[in-house]
Amino acid sequence: MLKLDRRSFLATTAGLSFLSVLPRVAHADGHADTLRVAIAGETGDLDLLQNVSTLSSYSAVFDALIHYGPGGALEPGLATAWTIAEDGLSISFDLREGVSFTDGTPFDATAAEWNLKRWMGVADFSWIGIADNYDNITIDAPNKITVKLKRPVPAALLELTIVRPVRFLSPKAAAGQPIGTGPWIVESYSSTETVLVRNDAYWGEKPAFGRMELKVVPDELARANALRAGELDVIGGDWVAALSPRRAKALEGEGMTIVAEPGTATTILGFSPKSPMMQDKAVRDAIFMGIDRAAVATVLFEGYADPTADIFPTTVPTAGARTPVPARDVAAAQAALTAGGWTGDASGWAKDGAALEIAFLVSEESFPGSRRIAEMIQGMLMEVGVKTNIETVDNATMHERRPNFDYDLTFFATYGAPYDPHGSLGASFVTASDTGPDGKIYVHPDLDALVATALETGGDSRQGAMQAVYDWLRDNTAACPLVVTQRLWAVNPRVKGFTLPATDYDLPFKGITLG
Amino acid sequence: MKNWPWAILAPALLFVLIGLFAPWIMTHDPASQDYSALLKGPSGAHWLGTDYLGRDMFSRIIGGARTSLVAMAFVLVAALAIGVVIGSFAGYVGGKTELVLISVIDIALALPSLVIALALMGVFSGENFSWMSDYWKMIVALTLAWWANYARMSRAVVVAELQQPYIEAARVMGASHIWIFTRHILPHVLGLVVVYASADAGALVLAIATLSFLGLGVAPPTPEWGQMLVDGMSYIEENPALVIIPGLALTAVVVSFNLLGEAFALQKVPRAVRGRFLARKKAARAAEDAARKEVEA
Repeated sequence: MLKLDRRSFLATTAGLSFLSVLPRVAHADGHADTLRVAIAGETGDLDLLQNVSTLSSYSAVFDALIHYGPGGALEPGLATAWTIAEDGLSISFDLREGVSFTDGTPFDATAAEWNLKRWMGVADFSWIGIADNYDNITIDAPNKITVKLKRPVPAALLELTIVRPVRFLSPKAAAGQPIGTGPWIVESYSSTETVLVRNDAYWGEKPAFGRMELKVVPDELARANALRAGELDVIGGDWVAALSPRRAKALEGEGMTIVAEPGTATTILGFSPKSPMMQDKAVRDAIFMGIDRAAVATVLFEGYADPTADIFPTTVPTAGARTPVPARDVAAAQAALTAGGWTGDASGWAKDGAALEIAFLVSEESFPGSRRIAEMIQGMLMEVGVKTNIETVDNATMHERRPNFDYDLTFFATYGAPYDPHGSLGASFVTASDTGPDGKIYVHPDLDALVATALETGGDSRQGAMQAVYDWLRDNTAACPLVVTQRLWAVNPRVKGFTLPATDYDLPFKGITLG
Repeated sequence: MKNWPWAILAPALLFVLIGLFAPWIMTHDPASQDYSALLKGPSGAHWLGTDYLGRDMFSRIIGGARTSLVAMAFVLVAALAIGVVIGSFAGYVGGKTELVLISVIDIALALPSLVIALALMGVFSGENFSWMSDYWKMIVALTLAWWANYARMSRAVVVAELQQPYIEAARVMGASHIWIFTRHILPHVLGLVVVYASADAGALVLAIATLSFLGLGVAPPTPEWGQMLVDGMSYIEENPALVIIPGLALTAVVVSFNLLGEAFALQKVPRAVRGRFLARKKAARAAEDAARKEVEA
């Protein structure tokens, strides 16, 4: 019979504990040169012309002519210099010399022309100004090209920094082969993981580690738990694998490093331009004044959001003059309704026999966390006397109803860097634009004219033209900006030198070393 | 063991009582937000603590009971009425009409009720139904998903009863179809489906919570247990009570109704309760005996 005294019990326990630690030690050793990053959806084959792969992984593999730097600064990418003609109708690029795609194909004017012609002048990409106004390309020298345009496109250089389809693919790449000039090479991809290895021939600053594993973890709590368990090194980024403010707070208390920086996308409450109720400016004013933006930022975003009354934050170029964030004012909101011909009080309002009752369309699938924000706003508006009925719908229904303006109130978000301000303005505030299922924040004939002018105005006049749009939106209470959510990432302590990528459409790896 | 059926009844009975008297039991307005008391634990001011918007959890649980009770009652009564009418009609009329109706019932039974309800909610979420509130969409969807079982049972009872000699006797004596159906057959049908409905109530409470959990049921700020569960999920790490409390309430009610139904089926319910539910059945049996004696005489 086995006799177990205290000493042997302790020795056995200690031995078992050591054995249980071994796999983790081996696991960590096996990943010493590997950064493991969570991604919410699979990368697929990173097709640059199809909307099937997650946007965040392209920039690791493919370069653009111009890269989006901190604060919207334009940085040389595959183009070392560029010149815009005085009339704005042509842009010349000096291409970086000595660069090759990872299959050995040289990057030169011919390769650049082949790439640009895949999307410039193509109807599917008419949402990009430079593609819509494309005329032709000339090869001026083996490493110099000129893109000629039918009309000036002031945001052309910013448009060349976006992820898809503007990045450069090897002309010799077979279908489904993601071969670029970027710092990483795709070793393999599957529905659960994409493995990248360092491109040792990269023209720019090479990553300090040799391998990056992009783990597909769709659930946010599972991502956080994987970070805690040491199975992931980095989670976060709205377009990579979003981290909720609540989770960030919890992880911060557990020794993880939380990196939060001012965001570039604004969460906006949109008023339907087809809703008779919402066409009453008094109602829009009452809603605008009846919401406590600071409380939304504190209560639901744990302080990882900044209240705003502007369409774009200052982290976006030409975002315009700042509007002071209004404090919530129930009395002023009620006064606005009274001035607009409504009668009533905190128990409800009516005008011409119609009660003030608003349909608030919400989809958790389209915008995670939106129902809780809607509930909070519902409570705030209830104190004004504005009754809101929250309709929670699935993604498909949201995509059906939003383009038809079949709602009174609903949530929108601007695209953020590097797409803004021209991207959101040209799409979400223009009657004729095709935004598909995303719908539009607000449209009006007067606004169409102002946005068209702003998007076509370059040089020193651009800021003034953009400001005219912002002023119109503010004076007409055409939309109700709420908060700018901060860019949130959580990092395992073994990751050193973590800095946020330039946009949330990029993966973090620059400057990172692994401990 | 002798008294265990009463213990089974307790949570279900409590649920019904709380649902009925919720406005007098709630200590706070369940929709009232207090940003100075977010995610607080139990205290004298808030017996079960507060949620992420500072709303009183106790009042929301009580309010949630009322929401579930009212929705459950609407669906049960409507589904039972539709099921009994269609099933009885099919069984009584027979022939091709019965064949068609039975086929419809079989198709409805071929799919899980919740799947049908989800599909219907999807249909109702379209533009054509935007005049209906989410609450009524849910009631209608669940009713249309729930009636088929009652129809099948009703039809089976009607067909069985029609074979009985006393029905033949009543016909011979010139009783009308309506007389025969309402006096001799309907009590049997109701006796069975009401007992079945008592067990079904738990499943229905769960279905209501499931739809709300998926964001398709009761709209905020009305408190509802399924919605409280899904909202609490985001806070499960730091405040698991937001999930545990509505989860426990839901579990207790569902288990209680299921055991109650089982007890009815096994005739283990207390005499007083059983007698009340089965009184109609006894009266019907007495009427049949009287009719039979009349024929024999």
